[in-house]
Amino acid sequence: MIYCLFTIVFVISVYTARHYWFTLNRLFGVQRHPYIDTDTANWPQVTILVAAHNEEKVVANILSALMSVNYPSDRMLVVPVNDRSTDRTREIIDSFVEQFPGRIRPFHRTGGKGGKAAALKDAMELVETEAILIFDADYIPGSGLIKQLVAPFFDPEVGGVMGRVVPLNVGTNLLTRLLDLERSGGYQVDQQARMNLHLVPQHGGTVAGVRLSALREIGGWNENSLTEDTDLTYRLLLNGWQTVYQNRSECYEEVPENWPVRIRQIMRWAKGHNQALAAYGLYLLFGKHRATFRERIDGTLLLGVYAMAPVTLVGWLLALGVFYEGIVPLHGIIALFAFTAYAAVGNFAAFFEIAAAVRLDYTRRRICLLPFLVLGFAVSIFSVSRAFVSQVLAPITGAQFHWDKTERFRTTP
Amino acid sequence: MNPAIATLVLILSAALLFVAPLLPAIVELRLKRDAQPLNVIQQYGGDIRHFAQGFRKIAVELHPQLQECVASSATAIGTLPDGDEYVLLGGAGESYLVAATKLDSTWRSVVAAGTDLALPDGLTFAKEIYAVGDLTGGERSTFRAILGDKDIHLQRGSKVIRWAHAARIFRADHDCDLFGRISADQEIQLQSGCVFQRMGAPMIVLGFSDTSASQSPSRSMNAAADATPAPAGRTLYDGDLEVRAGEVIPGSIVTRGKLHIGAGAHVLGSVKSNGHLTIDAGVSVDGSLLSATTTHVGPNCRIGGPVLAEQGVSIECGTHCGAADNPTTVAAPTIELEEGVVVFGSLWARNEGRVVPKA
Repeated sequence: MIYCLFTIVFVISVYTARHYWFTLNRLFGVQRHPYIDTDTANWPQVTILVAAHNEEKVVANILSALMSVNYPSDRMLVVPVNDRSTDRTREIIDSFVEQFPGRIRPFHRTGGKGGKAAALKDAMELVETEAILIFDADYIPGSGLIKQLVAPFFDPEVGGVMGRVVPLNVGTNLLTRLLDLERSGGYQVDQQARMNLHLVPQHGGTVAGVRLSALREIGGWNENSLTEDTDLTYRLLLNGWQTVYQNRSECYEEVPENWPVRIRQIMRWAKGHNQALAAYGLYLLFGKHRATFRERIDGTLLLGVYAMAPVTLVGWLLALGVFYEGIVPLHGIIALFAFTAYAAVGNFAAFFEIAAAVRLDYTRRRICLLPFLVLGFAVSIFSVSRAFVSQVLAPITGAQFHWDKTERFRTTP
Repeated sequence: MNPAIATLVLILSAALLFVAPLLPAIVELRLKRDAQPLNVIQQYGGDIRHFAQGFRKIAVELHPQLQECVASSATAIGTLPDGDEYVLLGGAGESYLVAATKLDSTWRSVVAAGTDLALPDGLTFAKEIYAVGDLTGGERSTFRAILGDKDIHLQRGSKVIRWAHAARIFRADHDCDLFGRISADQEIQLQSGCVFQRMGAPMIVLGFSDTSASQSPSRSMNAAADATPAPAGRTLYDGDLEVRAGEVIPGSIVTRGKLHIGAGAHVLGSVKSNGHLTIDAGVSVDGSLLSATTTHVGPNCRIGGPVLAEQGVSIECGTHCGAADNPTTVAAPTIELEEGVVVFGSLWARNEGRVVPKA
């Protein structure tokens, strides 16, 4: 039992060190923004896919925003991917098609497999351009965002690009405020540090782009994946294509406003991530492919982030067991206290990371909410563990993976 | 102490200790002092002319009064809505400024000239200058910001602190320091010794004694490459790579190490090196040129797409980046350009750009 606990504490310590490394890099390291100064160019043709499944509350906002961006209108085609919507999504999209002739080509999908990846895969029949951008329907791109996301494609090493997601409905309630902090940590520190350190920035599947030739080379969208973005990141990596992160390419999104929606969202992310871990984990670490040594290590750690939730839970149980069994670890009572304390409070490095992100964003007062993140952390750890268990048991229980769309809360269409 | 009271005190103390760190959080949650979304600027497109366009709105409001001054060759003063004073010069602007700055070489109000304006040497303009006609700055002068409806010509040793925009041509003589944004609707010409940060114009000519570039602006080399950042064909090399002189590469190349392209080679796609990138004389790259470290481009090269380097770029004379019908960007923390280089589009040096004499 004690050796299992040792192993778990070692793995958690690796993640802790990684969090600190990333945070210190963001605070004191050299920051990479290699494409952000691409001010003037012969901008290429770009197709912008807008994934929309029952998005009547939000789809008009994104289409309006896209029609007014600072990008040559004759080089930009917007393709709303209306995936089997049963609300007014189709009607709203069609009204925009009429209003902006030639600039929007809708893809109304009425059947087929569910899920964003499957919808995007079907919509690819309308895509002819090398540069493809992807937005979820609840996002609101700013004027300069399209150029910023297209610019990295001038680099022939880049297969994918990811921008920064910024919650818009921050002040609604405790959950939205906690998610705002989590997003800050995830993008402002985690993603940018990976970019700085030439590691593996993650494709987020929205406020993002992919190169058509790279996508074709890796076999297109994986419709069996619950998180097509994670799947894409790793297939690009294994084939020698970089995914780059643009921290200054910011875009507003709507975050979940109630806990059940949040729990469903994070469970889907966890299952999708674990799918990718099972599919690519060992091959990424030991296989013969184009990823560099540091990409192999970071990529594997990134794949394991959602698996760490059940591991931490097991660690807590083992720590309790060790305590009540009276097992004295190798280095005596001090080590026991250290393990127990660590196992009890989890990983504080993530909190440090979020605090640093808030500082970098110059939004100092919201840092007061940091203690409440324990609540979000607890919900996440149990939800993700539940997702993990249901995934492991799926072959026995016969449960099928299914795609849960995240509910929208915006009231003004 | 009564055991019940002691237990209660213990529980209350523990609860207090638990709640204490949450108090600031509870206060923030209730008062929402910092609950606004991060400020993502939705409408700013990054246009280099952003500040010039903002000031133009003020200048346009001064036009009627300025025309009256021109008609009567008079000078007028007034106050802008933001409280800044302005002076309108209807004619003989230089003599007015010379007289007004005899005791103090710093001019502290906005200047708007309705005609051509030639400024005396050695003055500092702490506010914006606007000229309807050509504007010629004096030597060793310092300008906060300049908006010219025609040409702007800064003489040797001058400085621009924030921005300058010329509706036609912006010229800077030797040893000018051009901080902030410099833009022109037609052309920018800089002599050696000039330092810059961000510039944008259809054509940027370094060392304007050589007018061949401005007389015959180049066209893009490969029309098919115009709208495509990288051709589908891409070759990835894990180490260093040397492209032989005169070799033709049909697609794009990416190296994880250093890259050296020999003289006269032609790359039909784009080039990316994760190490130092060296381009010899007469090389043509139809697409973009990127380096994760530094890039050196030899003389008389033709680069079609953006030139981006994460540490520094140096470019020798006779090289053209972009074309009249294919504008592009050269960007790096430090940029060193020899006289005779022509860039069609934008130059952006986050730390410092410099024009150096031809070797």
